[in-house]
Amino acid sequence: MLEHFIGGLAVVMQPLNLLLLTSAVFIGFIGGALPGISGVILVVILLPVTYGMEPTTAFMVLTAIYGATVFSGLITAILYRAPGTPEAVMTAFDGYPMTQRGEAGKALGIGVLSSAIGGLVGTVALIIFTPMLASMALRFSSPEYFALAVLGLTVVASLGGRLIFGLIGAALGLFIATIGIDPLTGTSRYTFGNLNLAEGVGLIPVIVGLFAVSEVMKRTLDHESHQPLKKVKIKIFDLPILRQIGVTLSRSSLIGVIIGILPGIGASTAAMVSYSETVRWSKHPEKFGKGAPEGIAAPESANNAAAMGALVPLFALGIPGSGTTAVILGAFIMHGLQPGPMFMVSSSDLIYAVFAGLFIVNFMILLFSKPFIALFTKLLNVPYSALGPLIIMCCVVGTYSVRNSMFDVWLMLGFGVLGYLLEKINFPLVSIILGLVLGPIAESELRRALSMSQGDVSIFLSRPISASLLAVAALLLAVTLIAPLIKRARRKTAAA
Amino acid sequence: MNNHLKHLTLGLAMLGVSAGVSASDADDFPSKPLQLLVAAGAGGGTDNFARVVRPMLEEALGGARSTVINLPAASGALAHQRTANGAADGHTLDFASTTFVTSLAAGQNPVGLDQVTPLARMQSDVMALFVNPERFEDFDAFMAYAEEHPGEINVGGTHTASPDHVAFLALRDASGIDMNFIPYDSTGNATANVLGGNIDATTTSLSPLLSYIDAGQMAPILVFSDERLEDYPDVPTTVENGWDLTDGNDRAIFVHASTPDAIVEKLETALKEVYDSEEYQSYAERVNLTYREGWMSSDEYRQRLENNFELYSRLLQDD
Repeated sequence: MLEHFIGGLAVVMQPLNLLLLTSAVFIGFIGGALPGISGVILVVILLPVTYGMEPTTAFMVLTAIYGATVFSGLITAILYRAPGTPEAVMTAFDGYPMTQRGEAGKALGIGVLSSAIGGLVGTVALIIFTPMLASMALRFSSPEYFALAVLGLTVVASLGGRLIFGLIGAALGLFIATIGIDPLTGTSRYTFGNLNLAEGVGLIPVIVGLFAVSEVMKRTLDHESHQPLKKVKIKIFDLPILRQIGVTLSRSSLIGVIIGILPGIGASTAAMVSYSETVRWSKHPEKFGKGAPEGIAAPESANNAAAMGALVPLFALGIPGSGTTAVILGAFIMHGLQPGPMFMVSSSDLIYAVFAGLFIVNFMILLFSKPFIALFTKLLNVPYSALGPLIIMCCVVGTYSVRNSMFDVWLMLGFGVLGYLLEKINFPLVSIILGLVLGPIAESELRRALSMSQGDVSIFLSRPISASLLAVAALLLAVTLIAPLIKRARRKTAAA
Repeated sequence: MNNHLKHLTLGLAMLGVSAGVSASDADDFPSKPLQLLVAAGAGGGTDNFARVVRPMLEEALGGARSTVINLPAASGALAHQRTANGAADGHTLDFASTTFVTSLAAGQNPVGLDQVTPLARMQSDVMALFVNPERFEDFDAFMAYAEEHPGEINVGGTHTASPDHVAFLALRDASGIDMNFIPYDSTGNATANVLGGNIDATTTSLSPLLSYIDAGQMAPILVFSDERLEDYPDVPTTVENGWDLTDGNDRAIFVHASTPDAIVEKLETALKEVYDSEEYQSYAERVNLTYREGWMSSDEYRQRLENNFELYSRLLQDD
């Protein structure tokens, strides 16, 4: 295996390949940083360009773009609260407050380092464990996915702020997720006969609206003064910070890899779950959402690890683990290759070159992100009266381009107003996203599991993985609900 | 009275326009860039099909220009709607799969077969029933198990009213096997569940699963075809079992129903030229779509769509 990998490195190091790889990283940077332009769209646009290339080069380029977009979504999320990709939405929760405090450089540094570490952990897992992990992923079926979604949803109880708001938000997210044609029965739900709603409400209009648009509204309408950023100095290697986020990084990278490998869910879910778990295990959960460094480290290491993890089932089984990998699968077929169980054997040269390419890409992210981010931080000196409209324009174009739908643009603007109003009452927007991302998984996997067992609910308990996940969820929920009661009781006895 | 006269004259004038000018219309066609609507998301099989055909079609039409627009929402219904409601001048082409007729039968697609004209079908990926060969040796074993365990067999496929689902319904209806359908988000997820032994089988088209067949991890045990396939001579067909099912995942191109005949003919001829070209055939071979003759002319394909619509409507209603 090591010699395969070194062979792959040799291919990557050819001048032309290295040049193409570098350009791919830059294209990915730009696409990822623009809200709405996601890895999927970039890969589709560039696919015809790769027809003229050797398959090995073509797939190094496509996977490098993929890796770079997942990374660079964090830049606009941290600087303007306008997540460049759905994967980066969690990063905005703590990244943007840090920018508001004048710590943009620190926040970006944490983001870059966490991304690169997560990406490297994911790549190493990809290189070493692909065949093994793939067979593990196959043990996951509907009951397990349902249990995982439940585990994610229970974190509402640990999120800071008022519990009732958290519950309302999660319920609202779950509700929005039910809109559209129900994939299991084909019935239209809450579509009011409008074809635009048949496919459901997309994640991008909601995220861009709730976060980016509402922020622009807030700063314009409320004339909110913000600290002018004189100079943003990005420090990537900062020992005290690294010590602070070390545990978070290891846990989140691991969560990211595992969730990424599961074929049913992608990097956005990984970022969500690892953020939730970080809040849950933190000694200071109240600091999250107000600029906690761990709040950046968790989603960024997890989403990059998951992006690499999602390639495991693609290479080992021919089953894509996310939207972008599904497009890459299509690209393999267009190049006349057949990803599937024999792919690792029949195309091992290609695969190891792609692995080696991804390995290098993570270092390129460390190396090139600074000058690239500098371009964006310069924009911070532009007066907001000019920058605000520019952000809105990017949001409109980006949202439109996802499905070529003007309806989505109106939807996004509507969510912008909603987000603006909700923030006035300190409503935790994160709970809405939690419900929206995990809702479809929880609902359809529950129903799928029940139709697998002909309606017998014991299927969730008779399968070891789902039973343990549900037990952990119940236990953690009990602990978070009971712990404050015990604390209060203790305080009472101490006072008495 | 006056109004009636006006309408009559207008009608006559329009008739004159459409009859008199259509020949030269076809000569000038295309007079502006074509819009190739794809009734599916970017990167899927239908999208790849449209993007591969695009440059060849441009050439076959004498250097026309065109743009590809993906309209995946509502199983592609928006693309069909834009085609049916747009100008009937043949400049808007709708690249769609069998989902067009299955979603119509399910009541999810408001554009009926009378509102569009198929130009041609160019691909037909053969449907088949797949199992994990360690679980069932062949179709007889599958049948025997199903008879012993009625209602316990779980067959996966993509969402409700998808080509996978109607193929399943058609098979269950014809064979009388008592089995359940479990809809997944994608072919990949259904496949993963068969590989992992979580469900028993999947009904889907052949080409995406070839690599699993080669690796011996999945096996087709029944193909939806009138003849046995050359590559799988031991796999029985639906027709030899007495079930008249030849479903496939078809990919075809539609225009507005009132498009002048001359333009429809011109486009159909151009597409045939594309289909017969070496370049297209090598693509079809590369993506393994050569198991069945892909080409079906406008008239033939319309007939097939109408028959399928009738069958699928009944099956989905009964379900």
